[in-house]
Amino acid sequence: MADLITPVLTKGIGELNLRDLAVYQQQGGYEQLRRAVAELAPKEVSDICNGSNLRGRGGAGFPTGRKWSFLPNNGRPRYLVCNCDEAEPGTFKDHMLLEETPHQIIEGMLIGAYAIGCDHAYIYIRGEFKRGFEIMRDAVRQAREAGFIGENLFGTKTKLELTIHRGAGAYICGEETGLLNSLEGKRGEPRLKPPFPAVKGLYGEPTVVNNVETLAYLPYIIRNGAEWFAKVGPERSPGYKIVSVSGHVVKPGNYEVALGTTIRQLIYDCAGGLRPGRTFMGVQPGGGSSACLFEEHLDVSYDFDAVTKAGSMLGSGAMVVFDDTTDFVKAAYALIRFFSHESCGQCTPCREGGNWIQRTLERILDGGGVDSDVDVIKSAAHQLTGLNLCALGDSIEPFLASVITRYEDQFRAYIKRPAQQVAI
Amino acid sequence: MSTMSDAATGVHPGPDAGAAATGTADWSPYARREGNAFDELYARLLPQIEPLIAQYEQKRSALIPLAHLFQEQEGFVSADALAAIAYLVGETPATVESTISFYTLLFRRPVGKYMLQICRNLSCLLNGAEEIMAYARERLGVRHHETTPDGLISYEEVECLAACDRAPCAQVNLEFVYDLTRDKIDAMLDAMRGGSYEIAPLPQTVRPGRTWKVAQDTGLKSAGAVGVSNPNNAGGVGDASGVVMFDLIVGRPQYETRSNERLVHETSLHPEVSGNGHH
Repeated sequence: MADLITPVLTKGIGELNLRDLAVYQQQGGYEQLRRAVAELAPKEVSDICNGSNLRGRGGAGFPTGRKWSFLPNNGRPRYLVCNCDEAEPGTFKDHMLLEETPHQIIEGMLIGAYAIGCDHAYIYIRGEFKRGFEIMRDAVRQAREAGFIGENLFGTKTKLELTIHRGAGAYICGEETGLLNSLEGKRGEPRLKPPFPAVKGLYGEPTVVNNVETLAYLPYIIRNGAEWFAKVGPERSPGYKIVSVSGHVVKPGNYEVALGTTIRQLIYDCAGGLRPGRTFMGVQPGGGSSACLFEEHLDVSYDFDAVTKAGSMLGSGAMVVFDDTTDFVKAAYALIRFFSHESCGQCTPCREGGNWIQRTLERILDGGGVDSDVDVIKSAAHQLTGLNLCALGDSIEPFLASVITRYEDQFRAYIKRPAQQVAI
Repeated sequence: MSTMSDAATGVHPGPDAGAAATGTADWSPYARREGNAFDELYARLLPQIEPLIAQYEQKRSALIPLAHLFQEQEGFVSADALAAIAYLVGETPATVESTISFYTLLFRRPVGKYMLQICRNLSCLLNGAEEIMAYARERLGVRHHETTPDGLISYEEVECLAACDRAPCAQVNLEFVYDLTRDKIDAMLDAMRGGSYEIAPLPQTVRPGRTWKVAQDTGLKSAGAVGVSNPNNAGGVGDASGVVMFDLIVGRPQYETRSNERLVHETSLHPEVSGNGHH
């Protein structure tokens, strides 16, 4: 049980005041930044990252080293943007890292920036994390005074600048191009891709957008070597991951485990299992955008590929567990309302479709549902998928479809009227 | 320096324009306004504003941080602040308005001293948020997007706040409150009303409206309000923040004398818009 949890990023949280630079340095903090900048070439750093097979922890699971390699060598300025706009329902890992270990994030960002040859990195912090923003601001001030941010770092000619930016409340700004627009002072509407940010990102220049957790792993990968990370867990999806477990479990919280731990272990061994007398009904393995998995999936290995193969996705690593008291109609409604509310409104299928499904579910919950509604919302959710600029619209279908398929009786129980009585 | 704002508002600089020369309100492209509190605020914030803009490679990036800055002082993004931001980042007020209206944490209308935002998303719902929200509504006597009659507490039901391990959770003035129970709601509201609440109140330079009308009237997004997730913000017809701007243009003598003639002489419009801004 306890040996499942391997604290890397979470080490010392709750015991030490890692917000303080001195404490962080006692734990070996900024030593890897010094090593990278003073002893390694940028290419060597990115080779280590590539060798570790680190995959993005923000949701898409794209290999970080490969993402960096897409930057064109055109002599233009480059940017690294750290995505701390954590708003996926059920995810609370970046929130914890931001408030507890800001220096770890700064060090990771600076190493990443050095590796890609960028001299100005930005971190975009979700507007609601006002406290986290203040903590990060203090940490950056400390790091700057200690000479880790600025010019001529560690006696080299390397210059690394860091700007903290706070958003103002929009889930869609977690989408990388929406984030870049927001960082440019615009509405956070995602851009048409291609061109991808690696070619045309912030201010039209080549840009890499990485998640907080992804970047925070960099100092440890530099310290322990690519092999250390690559040999943990499944070969194609290696390393550690912070999993946020919430919902109907005894001990909700962030658990840092090796990928490849099973879903059952995460729920029952890490999070203490379900409350007494309750039975397991389902789990959302990767945040609000992921399809629900059920009892037969409990022994699925929790890694990017296996969860995808099981019909869902690992996403940002947020598990929401449902027991037998769950009303899946209301659960689906809560998520559809979320996506409808957070739609930026650029693409008609997402804007209208989400809203329309939300209103239909509202009507079902109010007792005004008709027999055909269940099939119609399922079909509508399916039809709006794949027609949008970003993944928000596509996130409407997975959970809804999976729970309608599994627990159709719960939806039918709300519907008491035959189809012909109501015009939709 | 002043052309953009002129074009956007239709207001032209008068003889006393070029207030930069006076040393106050040099953000303002069109007027020196004796005793305007915003000018003092602006002068006071200027030392913070300059480094804030300087940390970006393009000044428009400072738009949202500037809006936060002014909102932290005034409680909402006032029309004056909006014009100042436009001047500072070199965009039109319309562009600033369009950007600000996208974000739910930037208010274009005054809100209460305490903004209570309870999470209504999945993990909180699974842990009893529905009951907590119903109880909070009952105790406050208001619904989603409304402010108590005394102007003290504004209430919103918001999306996932990334604190699902301690559900149900909420934010008060963006500070987290965890593990909500009925008792905790009671204690919280009593402390707010008794003036002893641990979280600092928001500044309130203008008394908030009771309800945010757009939300109650339609509850839906209008075609003109594509993607507007917060009815507090700009939308299409009936947009409250537009009314604020309209008030400003029509209600101030210096604009009245030289602004668009049709607006000024349309007497039927006048009594409506010079009221409290709610229709």
